[in-house]
Formats: sequence, C-alpha cells, structure tokens
Amino acid sequence: MIELLQQGFGAVFSPYIFVLITLGVAVGIVFGAVPGLSATMAIALCLPLTYTMGPAAGLSLLVALFIGATSGGLISAILLNIPGTPSSIATTFDGAPMMRQGLGVKALGLGVVFSFLGTIFSIGALMFIAPMLADIALSFGPHEYFAIAVFSLTLIATLSTGSLVKGLFAGALGFAFSTVGIAPVEAVRRFTFDHPSLNGGFAMLTVMIGMFAVAEVLKFAEKGRSADRAKPQNISMKGIKGFGFSIKEFIFQIPNATRSALIGVGIGILPGIGAGTSNIVSYIAAKKRSKTPEMFGKGAPEGVVASETANNAGIGGAMIPLLTLGIPGDTTTAILLGGFMIHGIQPGPLLFLTQGDLVYTIFAALLLASVLMLFLEFFGLRIFIKLLSIPKHILLPIILVLCVVGAFGLNSRVFDVWAMMLFGLLGYGFVKGGLPIAPFIIGFILGPMAETNLRRGLMLSDGNFMGFLSNPISAAFLALAALSVSWHLVTALRGKKDGVAQLMSS
Amino acid sequence: MDTCKRNELLIGLTMLGAGLGYLFMTLQLPRRGFVDSAFVPYILSAVLCLLGVLQLLAWKKLPKPTAGAAVEKESIDYLTVIKSFALVIIYVALLETVGFPIMTALYLYVQFLVLTPLDQKANHLLYAGIALVSSASIYFLFRESFDLLLPAGLLNF
Repeated sequence: MIELLQQGFGAVFSPYIFVLITLGVAVGIVFGAVPGLSATMAIALCLPLTYTMGPAAGLSLLVALFIGATSGGLISAILLNIPGTPSSIATTFDGAPMMRQGLGVKALGLGVVFSFLGTIFSIGALMFIAPMLADIALSFGPHEYFAIAVFSLTLIATLSTGSLVKGLFAGALGFAFSTVGIAPVEAVRRFTFDHPSLNGGFAMLTVMIGMFAVAEVLKFAEKGRSADRAKPQNISMKGIKGFGFSIKEFIFQIPNATRSALIGVGIGILPGIGAGTSNIVSYIAAKKRSKTPEMFGKGAPEGVVASETANNAGIGGAMIPLLTLGIPGDTTTAILLGGFMIHGIQPGPLLFLTQGDLVYTIFAALLLASVLMLFLEFFGLRIFIKLLSIPKHILLPIILVLCVVGAFGLNSRVFDVWAMMLFGLLGYGFVKGGLPIAPFIIGFILGPMAETNLRRGLMLSDGNFMGFLSNPISAAFLALAALSVSWHLVTALRGKKDGVAQLMSS
Repeated sequence: MDTCKRNELLIGLTMLGAGLGYLFMTLQLPRRGFVDSAFVPYILSAVLCLLGVLQLLAWKKLPKPTAGAAVEKESIDYLTVIKSFALVIIYVALLETVGFPIMTALYLYVQFLVLTPLDQKANHLLYAGIALVSSASIYFLFRESFDLLLPAGLLNF
C-alpha cells in the first residue's frame, strides 16, 4: 500500500498534474463560493477539458475541483451570510454573526483549517475502508449488485428533501429514461423511435449538465433582473498571525471536530445524503454537546468548526461506495462516475486489482488537493472575494456556452446538445414542481445496473426470483430497502416531518 | 383555488400523464416471455402511474386556504425565462451551420442584454467585448489544447 501511495505521489508531483490540481482547487473554490454554482457544476463544466488528458491527470483535476468546491462554500457563508452550496448552510448560522462582530478572519481561518482536517480525516477513512470493502465486494454477483442498486435507489428517493411520493417518482422517472436505447441481455431497441442516435441511450453527462447547469441558468433568469445582490465586505488581513486563531482555541475544538468528522464520513457513505445534510446534523450535535449552547447562532466558533469539518469529511465518505461498488452516493460523485467512465474506467472492486496504481494516484491527488486548498483558500482569499462580485448575468451565459461545449465534445455531435437542452427543460420543470433532482440522476445511473443484474441474476437462478432472497447479502439489502420505504410511508401517513426537515426547522 | 393547490394538481396530472405515456410506449415493445426487455419498463410504468395517483390523492387531502392567510407573492419573471430559453434554442439550432465562434459571440451578447438587471444600464461595448473574447478564447482553447473541433460553420474556409 505504501509503495502504491509513493507511486501515486510521484505521479501527482509531476509538474503537469501539480499545476492541474492547483488550478482545480482554485476554480473549485470559486464555484463553491459563488452562490448558485456547485461542486457538481464545476466538475461537469471542466469534464470536457479532461477528454484528451490521461486518466491520472483528468481524475486528479476532477477530485481537486470536488475538494475546492466543497470547501469554497464557507467564503460566501461567512462573508455574505449566503451559503455558497447546500453543504455550508450551517456555516452561516455562526459564521455570519462572527463576521458582524469583527471576527471574520477567525471564522474563515477556523473554517478553512477544519475543512482541511475534515478532508484529511475522511481520506484516511477512505484509504482504510475502501480496500477492505473492495475485497468483500469481489465476491458479489448479480444478486448482490441488484439488491445494492435497489437499496441505494430507495434510500436516495426517500431521504431527499420534500415529499416521499415526488422523491420516489423522480427516481423511477430517472430509471425510465435510462431504459432508452438497446436493452441489456436481449439487445432489443427500446423507445428509440428508429432514431439511430438514441441506440446508445442518453449520455449520462448530457443528463447531468442539463439538469444542473442549464436548469440553473433558467432558474436565474426568473429573478436575475430584479435580484438585489449582496456585496461582499472587505476583510483586513493585516496583523493576522497564522490562520487567525490560537493553539488553545484549536485544542478546544478537537473533540467537536472529531465528532463532526465521524458524522460527516458516516453520512457521506450512505447513498442519497451527503454534505448537505451532515453539516446540519453535526451542527446540532455540537450544540447539544456544548457547554454554552446559548452562544450558538450568535457567533460560536464551534458552529463553524462543526459544519465545515462535517461537510468536507463527506468527500472521503462519498468516494467509498463510488470506488468500491461503482455506486455514487450523491450528485457530485455521480458526475465523478461519469468522469471515470469517459476515461474508460469502471469503478468497482476490480478497480483495486487491475488499476491499483490509479486508485492510489487518486488518493494522493485528494491529499495534495486538501493541502493546496488550505493555503490557497486562506491566503488567496482576497482574490476569491473579488471574483464573488462578478455579475451573474455575465457569468451564467458563459457557463451555458461551456455546457454546450461539454455536451458537444462527448461525441462531436449536436444531438447531445439537444439532449442536454431537453434535460435542462426537464430539470427546470422539476424545480418548479418541487421534485428533487438527485433521485432522478441516481435512478438514471443505477437503473441500468439494477436491470442488468436482475436479468443476469434470474438467468443464474433459472428464472427463479427466490435467488434474490436466498442470498443473505442481497436479501439483507432488499429488506433494508423495503424497510426504508415502509418506514417513510408510515411517517408520511402520520403526517410527521422527516428527520432532516425536523433538524432544519429546529 | 389558490395557486399552491392548483400547482399540486398540475404536478399530479403531469406525473400520471408521464406514467401513462411511458406505459403506452412500453405496450409497443415486442414480448419474448415473462421476463424480457419489456419486464422492467412494465414495472416502472406501474410505479410511475401509482405514484401519479398517490400525488393526486395527496392533492385532494390538501387543506383549503383559510381566508385572510398571508399569501406569499413571488415575482417570477417568466418573460425573461422564455426569452432566454428561446435564445438558447436558436443558438443550438444554428450552431452547426453558422458555426460556434459567430453564434457564441451573438448568443452571449444578446443573453447579457436579456439578463441585465433592471436597475443597471446595459454596457453594449463591454458586453460585445466579453462576448467576442469569450467566444474566441473558448474556440481556440478547445481546438488547440484539447483537440476538440467545435463546428466552424461559416468561418470554415
């Protein structure tokens, strides 16, 4: 393992990849900091740049964007009191009051340093858990994969915000869109309307770029002309030593940070929920455990630490099911999966056997990107603040053009651009109808995995469905899926709010 | 009927409509036994239709708005949304014939104008400058550095 990691570091310290990671982190921070832009969008837009790069360089750039964008949300959360991404909602609770009290630099310093520590902790967990899980997953057959896909799908549909019915519908609709094209096993053409471009189905990236980026541009058009824009306040870094807080303060935060990191990794591993939830959960946990809970919401540094440690700890957590099973835990890892596949790499347990050096290059890139994030974000803060004031009516049309480039570049055909527009319109419809987008995406990605493995599993057990229930692992996952749906149904029928909604309102 | 309740009805009808549409398309698929390539689409059609019905039931259960309740008014500028979407459609439609560099510059310039906040004056010179520079730099960056040949269209001579 150490040898592979050394090789990985050797690769990421080559000048070319080092520059790519540095740029990736910086661009990621900007995407995280500008409200309305997200990590998913950053990766989607930079994917076309990686088409001609090798897998090591391309994937290093993508994970650097992931780390930068997850952390960058804290800049606008603290300076503007607007979370740059959903992962930094809880950062605004105490970050903004600290800013008002003139403790902005301390809030930013704590946020950046604990983002870094959360990321490192989660990468450690990833490097420790993923190879073991991959070993176990090697023995998985179609029965297990089908059950895991169904479990992940129901979990994301039930845990996504809003109504259960809409969440499940979004997931099923995503699955339905994935059935377009040549069917697995029998190679029958389905829903192609004799259009040869549809034989291969819709490309995952056109779906994601459309649903996220194009829909975001349309959403901005709704209010963009009348929106009053908050101007970031200037912040003085004069006379600031280190990261703006003392060693004593740092030591005081360690138990809080450890708890938050564990929450972040744990929630990150589960499919369906990620940094958007874990920052709030760990904030509430920190408040409950604090000796001075009354200070929360009024500028308690613990609040910033809890939120920022947890959201970045989700990075390593979410990468665990992605690398070992090929299952994305959230939309950001879903688009990372797209990035892997463009480079001809299928994440899964075999990845650790056949491409061990690449896996460890990714680990090394994650570690290097975290260190770069620590320094770039804190010491380059003034530049990022300047970028925050780029007007959105200039920024978003350029983003749309980059979406078009990305979709066109997939196969050099305008068909994919049209498909992207279709999904953009659909995504906008989802936003208007209150349907969550994440289950749709995960349904679209996991649908083919579920169907193919269902058909293969049935062939193995001679058409007998009991094969899925007699296999202990698949039976356990199917039972968990059934339990999760029925539990949510019962709570919905009783008219209770779900856990996350309760947390949000408390 | 208040807008919120009407919206939920519309969403339910759309959901059911999507389910039925998918079911109709699934019915056209050739069958080759019980578990074949139409098996999963049938299950999905059933699930989609069922969820559409459930959404309609949920709509029926929604409480009627009480008189005097504060109604949240949203100012949604649909005209700008439609204009922006139309612009994008024109942009994509002419992308191959007219070419990426010209269409991108035109699209960006007009889209900047459409999205300019009401309290700001449009700076035509600046907008045109940004549009031209972005279009040219994206085109050449992808062409030279990333081997991605975006359609040159009319400029292809």
